[in-house]
Amino acid sequence: MASTTKNINNEDRPGIPRGVLALIGIAVLFALLWGSTKVFSRYIVFIVSLIGVYVVAAESLNLTNGYSGLFSLGHAGFMAVGAYTSALLTFPVEMREVFALSPLPNWLGGPQFHWPFFPALIAGGLFAMALAFIVGVPVLRLRGHYLSVASLGLMVLITSLAMNLRNVTRGSIGINSIPKYTNIYWAWGWAVVTVYVVWRVVNSSFGRAMMAIREDVSAAQVQGINPLKYRLLSFAIGAFFAGVAGGLYGHLSGAIRPYGFSFDLTFQIVIMVVLGGMGTIQGPIAGAATLIVLRYILKPVEEGLKVYGLVELIYATLLIVVMIYKPEGILGRRVLRK
Amino acid sequence: MLKVNEIDVYYGVIPAIRKLALHIDQGRIVTLVGANGAGKTTTLKAIMGILVPKEGGIIYRDGDITRVPSDRRVEMGIAMVPEGRQIFARLTVKDNLDLGAFHRRDRSGVKRDLEWIYGLFPVLKERTGQIAGTLSGGEQQMLALGRGLMSHPELLLLDEPSLGLAPLVVREIYRVIREINKSGITILLVEQNINMAMKVSSYAYILETGRIRTEGKPHEVMKKENIMKAYLGE
Amino acid sequence: MFTTQYILQQVFNGVVFGAMYALLALGMTIIYGILRLIHFAHGALITVGAFCFYVCFALLGIPFAGAIVIVIGFGALMGVILDVIAYKKVVGGPEVSMLITSLGFYIFIENLIKLIASPQPYAFHPPAFFEKLYKKGLVTFRTIDLFIVASSIAIMLVFNLFVKKTRMGKAMRAVSESGEAARIVGINIGRVISFSFIVASAIAAVTGFMWGAKYGQISYSMGFMSGVKAFVAIVIGGVGSIPGAMFGGFILGILEMFSVAFLPPGYAGYRDGIVFFILIIILIVRPSGLLGQKEAES
Repeated sequence: MASTTKNINNEDRPGIPRGVLALIGIAVLFALLWGSTKVFSRYIVFIVSLIGVYVVAAESLNLTNGYSGLFSLGHAGFMAVGAYTSALLTFPVEMREVFALSPLPNWLGGPQFHWPFFPALIAGGLFAMALAFIVGVPVLRLRGHYLSVASLGLMVLITSLAMNLRNVTRGSIGINSIPKYTNIYWAWGWAVVTVYVVWRVVNSSFGRAMMAIREDVSAAQVQGINPLKYRLLSFAIGAFFAGVAGGLYGHLSGAIRPYGFSFDLTFQIVIMVVLGGMGTIQGPIAGAATLIVLRYILKPVEEGLKVYGLVELIYATLLIVVMIYKPEGILGRRVLRK
Repeated sequence: MLKVNEIDVYYGVIPAIRKLALHIDQGRIVTLVGANGAGKTTTLKAIMGILVPKEGGIIYRDGDITRVPSDRRVEMGIAMVPEGRQIFARLTVKDNLDLGAFHRRDRSGVKRDLEWIYGLFPVLKERTGQIAGTLSGGEQQMLALGRGLMSHPELLLLDEPSLGLAPLVVREIYRVIREINKSGITILLVEQNINMAMKVSSYAYILETGRIRTEGKPHEVMKKENIMKAYLGE
Repeated sequence: MFTTQYILQQVFNGVVFGAMYALLALGMTIIYGILRLIHFAHGALITVGAFCFYVCFALLGIPFAGAIVIVIGFGALMGVILDVIAYKKVVGGPEVSMLITSLGFYIFIENLIKLIASPQPYAFHPPAFFEKLYKKGLVTFRTIDLFIVASSIAIMLVFNLFVKKTRMGKAMRAVSESGEAARIVGINIGRVISFSFIVASAIAAVTGFMWGAKYGQISYSMGFMSGVKAFVAIVIGGVGSIPGAMFGGFILGILEMFSVAFLPPGYAGYRDGIVFFILIIILIVRPSGLLGQKEAES
């Protein structure tokens, strides 16, 4: 029995209902996270948190690329938007002058105010989402590769702005000393939320419509499904979480620069999704974990032997190998093709 | 000359034709008829090599060509005139014909064949420099036929040559089909228009949802399948 | 400030850059026409060509003509490798797979060069006679500028003739129209694809030399922007149309130069961003491009 979607109708399965299982799983996860903060060094805890942040980014790209069959290359741009927005909102009032950052305008709270973490993250996500809508409306009507290049272009535009709006973003120096609000719980909390949202979307009638569009656009249209609406929404939701991921990242590492949000970043996330398995929920998680761990194992080698570019080279090789031999990804299932 | 041995052809996991067997004697016109979706085009594509059967085999001139790629089959003497013409609309008439002879090395032979085709279809000679997409439906069909003939085939696969054409044009096309056959080319004809097809063929196969339902000489088949007239909406 | 001289000079610069974009766009369109694939790795071939020339000319002392021949050959070889290793295997599958593989190849080549050469850019000097300065009327230029424009036009003309008159050329046009009809007629699609990769890659490699010579420096990441801008050029001119690609290239070059020239100073950093802004505008207003056929909207 072939199936192109993950089997989610578990009403027929006897035993513990899925919802309870999930909650237990989350509890276990957080227990493990708590445990790791007690056992492991700060460095390792940092890496685990980073994986959580990348899970947010990868799952959201999965929604756009894997399930909707689009191919957005602009994810780094949305992350940049989220990172800069949230950083500029949460930056402590006392330090703004020293760091040549202008105080917040009145409609954002005024010069004596800086935002708390959570609203700032949401604001970043919403701003990214708005951009996705603006760019998406003209571009998503066209064939897939137009979106690829347009989203790439959007990313370039955004980083271009980040580098040149020196009064707002401090240009190519970037912003540092961002308060490190992101801890392991924030990172993985958002990861859980993202996974949940993606899971809900995919397993709804919305998700089914999206996959119908991915498989055969004309057939879907004939069924009365408007491709633009669905693509736009999945693009926008993906962008929202990318923005959040950017904000989380900024407040984890404490510093952001325009160069950090380049094509290399998009590519990393694309690899995580593709390697792990596009169009599956678990794929991006596995992909994110594998690639981050790999990177941090290889980092000392890169620095030591002065072989810069080694990590990306390995990433690219893995990608090509996977594409040739197992295009559905390591955890993916072969999708039926004509 | 051509033997199809019980082939199964699938589109993904969906079977399009099952246990299909037919044979074509040299020099004949054989017809394959059936309703839309019966599997006629699939059969031709399998013979041409565009689709590969999952089961069964195809024997051409005593050689097994089941795994031979299409471009080799063209060299071996099989040519196809596909459904809907599929000419290269952006190229000229002459370019289309030249491409028909793509694999041929014998320049003089190609020239001779070109002259012959111009003789069969004078309108192509007239419009030889015109962009193919601007020709009328009937002219495009002639071009597609001519292009197929340019490869100097021994077996010609014709997929619905009368599709979408006015009755006068159809009569003309069939006149040419008979003439091509007289010059020695074996023809496998696929049609929905049973009338004309039965008139020219010496043997017929009726295809229904992927299987051969009946076969035999045209008048026998027509008698057996009186219900078919209503079925195919004659 | 906006004197006739200034404007003319900018137009001239735009034409030079446009010539390079046009060549890149040509290569990309060839592959797009045959495979319906945006060949992201195409940009990497510029980098390969530029570094290859650097090694041959600056490091090994091979004279210019010889170095260029080697560059062309090496570019063609890269084309073969890409074709055989990647695309042949992935060709039957979903469109997205080829895009991703293409991306993977770009990153691979870019980082391989970063690894082998250096993360730092190199100064790039073409042979001395290219640097000779001329001043004709209101415009100042160097020999290299003439070389770029002349070879670009020459390559395009030769290619145009090739595609109209030769057997393989017509086969390429046939395949780009309909792969299935081409197979029916007996064309070996695999060979046409290989040939297209070879030609496109060789052209890209030579363009790499031009790019390095014009900018005066080469770096491992130089291919990225140029590759993507080539796609913008294609969109401007009309996807799937060879004259469109070349036309788009020139227009893009001129537009880019103009925007850099006429923007208030301090905004020059927006150069790349503006290119994409133009892309988005075109996609909104006229997605089939200025010369293109209407591609099936999906």
